[in-house]
Amino acid sequence: MRLLRGVYEGPGSHGVLRMAAGMRGVRAVLRALPAEGYFHSLHGAWARSGEPAPVHISPVWEKPKSSREPGDAARDFSELIRRHPETEAVLVVRSETALLSGEPISATALPDNETGRAPRLVACEWEAVGMGETEAADLALEDIVRAHARPAEKSPSPTVNLFGPPLFDPNAAAEYDEAKRLLSLLGVGVNARAPLGATISDLRRLPRAWANVLIYRETGDAATLFLQDEFGTPRVTTPMIGAAGTGAILRSVGDLCGLDAQTVRRAAWNELGTTAKLPWYARLQTPETFRGIRAAIFGDFTRTLGLGYALSREVGLEVGACGTYLTHLERDFLFHASTFTDGAFVADDPEEAASRIEDSRPDLLIGTHLEGEIADNLGIPFLPLCPPVLDHPFVQRPIMGYRGSSVLADLLEDALRRPRREQREAEPSSTELPWTKEALEGLEEIPAFLRGRTRRLAEERARAAGSREVTREALEEARA
Amino acid sequence: MDKPGRASGGLLTILNESGVPDVLSPLHAARELSTLLPGALVIVAGTRTEAYLAQTLPAVLPGAPTTPRDSRLRFIVLDAGETPEQGQVASRVIEACAGVPKTRMALLVAGRSAELMGVDADFEARLAARRLEIPVKVVDPDPAPDSHACLSTDLEDHALAALVEMCRETTSDLVAANPASPKRGGLLGGFLGRNRDEDREAKRTPVVLLGASPDSAEDLSPELERAGVAVSGSVSFGVPAAEDLPAIGEGTVVAPLDPHLATACRTAEKRGAKVVRTLAPIGVDGTARFIQDVSAAVGTPASEIAHAREVWAGLDSLRNRVRGKRVFFAGDTGLELPLARFLADAGAVVLEVGTPRLDRRALAPELHSLGSDVDVVVSPDREGQIRRIDAARPDVVVCGPGLYVPLVARGHLCRTTLELRQVGVHGYAGARRILELLARTFERAESLDALDL
Repeated sequence: MRLLRGVYEGPGSHGVLRMAAGMRGVRAVLRALPAEGYFHSLHGAWARSGEPAPVHISPVWEKPKSSREPGDAARDFSELIRRHPETEAVLVVRSETALLSGEPISATALPDNETGRAPRLVACEWEAVGMGETEAADLALEDIVRAHARPAEKSPSPTVNLFGPPLFDPNAAAEYDEAKRLLSLLGVGVNARAPLGATISDLRRLPRAWANVLIYRETGDAATLFLQDEFGTPRVTTPMIGAAGTGAILRSVGDLCGLDAQTVRRAAWNELGTTAKLPWYARLQTPETFRGIRAAIFGDFTRTLGLGYALSREVGLEVGACGTYLTHLERDFLFHASTFTDGAFVADDPEEAASRIEDSRPDLLIGTHLEGEIADNLGIPFLPLCPPVLDHPFVQRPIMGYRGSSVLADLLEDALRRPRREQREAEPSSTELPWTKEALEGLEEIPAFLRGRTRRLAEERARAAGSREVTREALEEARA
Repeated sequence: MDKPGRASGGLLTILNESGVPDVLSPLHAARELSTLLPGALVIVAGTRTEAYLAQTLPAVLPGAPTTPRDSRLRFIVLDAGETPEQGQVASRVIEACAGVPKTRMALLVAGRSAELMGVDADFEARLAARRLEIPVKVVDPDPAPDSHACLSTDLEDHALAALVEMCRETTSDLVAANPASPKRGGLLGGFLGRNRDEDREAKRTPVVLLGASPDSAEDLSPELERAGVAVSGSVSFGVPAAEDLPAIGEGTVVAPLDPHLATACRTAEKRGAKVVRTLAPIGVDGTARFIQDVSAAVGTPASEIAHAREVWAGLDSLRNRVRGKRVFFAGDTGLELPLARFLADAGAVVLEVGTPRLDRRALAPELHSLGSDVDVVVSPDREGQIRRIDAARPDVVVCGPGLYVPLVARGHLCRTTLELRQVGVHGYAGARRILELLARTFERAESLDALDL
C-alpha cells in the first residue's frame, strides 16, 4: 500500500484498450462496473476524430434474472457482432474491480461475422490486479499476434514489420511514418505495422517480413519475441533516436535484409546532409554551450534511453539522472542507462522520481507531464517528450529517426538558449543561509516535488527579515 | 425494470432502452472537489484504476486546467492479493494530511474496489479522524448498490452527503443554534448581515441550501430572502472548514438545488431535517416553484408568479433566439430533466431526454411539469443515440464528453453538460445564462458556417 501524488501508468485493462482501439477490425469489450466508463472521453480528447472508439462496456453487476439489461457476457458479445458485422477479432478485458469480484475469463463461442467466419475471441488470461498498462499492452499484442499470425513465405523483396507505440502515445503516427520513410530510402518495404492502424490481415502476414523493427520496445517486445521463436524473424531493438541510433538501425536492417553496406551508408550520409540536423546543431554551437550542463531524463523505456544516448554522446550534455517508471523493465533499463549515466534509477512514485531528479541538480529536465512541476520549482527548462503527456497536437512531429533528431535539435536550442542562472546554486549549507535543526525537520515533511521551491522561498524570507539563519517560522511562512 | 410505457398522470413517454449509456466515471470529479473545497484533502483509495481515472480524466474535460500546482489530491494504491491490516489506510491518510498544511478536513474516496480488497473505509476514516482531530469522511464514488446505472455526478452527491454528516446537529433551541451559523459568501455575508438580522432571523425556520456549486447558493439566497425565507447557510463545495457548515437536524428545512442529490438528501432526512421536494431551481418556472415551495415549507408562503412573469418578459429577446430550436439531451449528469423542462418552456423543441437512471420519487415533480411531447429514455444506448441523433439532426445536442467529439465530427452542434454547469444554471440569473449559452452556440456556428473555406 502506497501513498502517491500521481501515477504514471493506468491499469492493465487500459493498456489492452489502447492496443485494441488503435487497430482496425478489432473490438474490445471491457467487463467493468457501470461507473468505470471513461475510454470514449479519453479517446475523443486524444484522437479528436469522429470515429467512435471500438470499445464497449459490458457491465458486471447484480441484476434481476429476467432483465434485458446488458451485462451477460455471451449475450453482449453476440449483440456486438450483430451490430458490427465487420468485426474480425474481439478482445475481452476485465477491469481491476471486475477481477477483484472474481469475474471469470470469457470463453464463449462468437457468432459469425459478415464474412461467415466467427471472429476470434482473445481473452487476456494473464490479467492481474496491479499490472501496469504498458506491460498489459505488450502481452495483449502478443496474444492477438499469436492468435492470427500464420506461417508464410518471406516476401520476395526485403520487407520488415514495424512495431511502434499504441494509441495515445504522443506523436505515435509520426514515428511510424518516419521509420517507414527511412526504410524506403534503403529500398526496404513495410510488410505490416502494429499495433497502430493494423488490420487482422496485417497480423496474419506478419511472418512474411525479413525482420521486425521495434521502434517502441515497451509494447512490442513479447510479440516480436514470439515471432522470433515461432517463425525465426530476427529483431532490431536499438532505440531509433538521434542520428547515431537511427544509423545503427539502418545498418542492422541492411545486414538482415542482405543489402550492400555501401548503399546503406550512402542513404545515411545523404540524410545527414539534408534532414538530420542534430549532429549539425552540435557542431555549430560552441563547446561552452553544452559544457557543464546537466540533463535529467525521466519517462518510458525507449524515449528515455534513446534521448539519454543522444544527449550524452551526440550533444555532449552530462546526463545526471535517468530514470523510468516501468518497474517490470528494471534490469534492462539499468543495464542500458548505466552506459551513459551514473544516475540510472527506476521509480514509479512521482515523489521518489522528483527527489532523484532534484538531487542531480539538473539544468534541463525531460520528462512526463508529472515532472513539469519539478522544472518549474527548480526554474529550469522542461521538455515533455516522454509519455504520458497531456498534449495531443493536431500536427504530430516525430522524435525518432533523422527528422526526429532535427526536432530534438530545435527543442534543445530553444531550451538552452535561455539565459542560464547567473551562478550555479551551490549546496545550501555552504554559501546559503544555515538552517536550524527544526527548520530542516520541517523541510523533510514537505513533499519532495515542492521542496526546492519552498527551500528557496524560506531562504528569501529569512534574508528579507534580516535573519542569519532559516528558522522553522520562516519555513512555515514560505509554505503558507 | 421499467417496461416501456406511460408515466402516470401525463402523456409523457418513458422508454427504457436497456443500453449502456455514455457516462463519464464519477471519479473525474475528485480533483475538482479537491480544488473547490478550500480546506480539504481528497484521498482516493483503491487500485491503480481509481488513481489513474481521478488523475487523468479532469485533463480531458473542456476548459480543464493541466495538473494544478499544490494539488490537494492524493492516492492510496493498494497492493493486489494482500489484505491490508486494519488501521493501515488510516495511517496513510494521516501521513497525507501531515504533508499538506492547513488541512481542515479529509475526504477518503473509497468504493467497491477498496471494499473488495478488504478495506473497511468507515473504520479507517473514524480512526484517522480521532487521531488527526479533523473530520475525515468516506465518499463512495460508485452509485448506490441498489441503482444499476451510474451518473457522472454520483461522487458529487456522495461528497455533499459527507458534508451534511459533518454539519452540527441542531439543538432543540433554534435560537441558540442559529447565530453561530455564518452565511455563505464567507467574509462579506458574515460581517455585513449577522448582527442586524440576527433577531429577526432567529424566529424563522432555518433553510439550508444543498448544492455543489458555491455560486449557485449565492445566486439563490437573495431570491429566497426576498421571499421572506431565512437562509441559514449552504452545504456546498465552497465551505472552508467543517465549522463553517450550517446546522442540520430537527427543525431545519433542506432545499436541494439539483435533482441528483438523492444520497445527500437522504442523509439530511436521517438527521430529522425536512427536505423540500419540488422542482429544481433551474429555469424561470423551476426557480419560481422552488422559492414558493421552500417558503411554504417554512410557513411563510409567498407567491412568485408576478416575479416569474417579469423575468420571462426580460428574457423575451433571448427566447426568440432559442424558439423552435430542436434540442437533444444525451443524458449523463441527472440535470437533463430540469434543463429540458426549462428549454421546452422557453420555446425550444426537446426531441429526447436521456437519463442513465430515473429516480421517480425524487424526480416526480420534474416529470409532471415536463411537456407531454417530450420522450424520456432511461438507460439510453450510446450507439442507438448516435443513430437517432444522425437521423433527427437536432439543432443542438447536450451530451457528456464521451459523445462530444464523435458528434461534432458528424456535423452536430454540441455542448457538454459540464459546460452548462460551469456557467451556473441555477436561479433566475442561471436561466438567462442557459439561454445565453445556447444563443452563443448558435451564433458562433452560424458565423463559422458563413466562412468561405
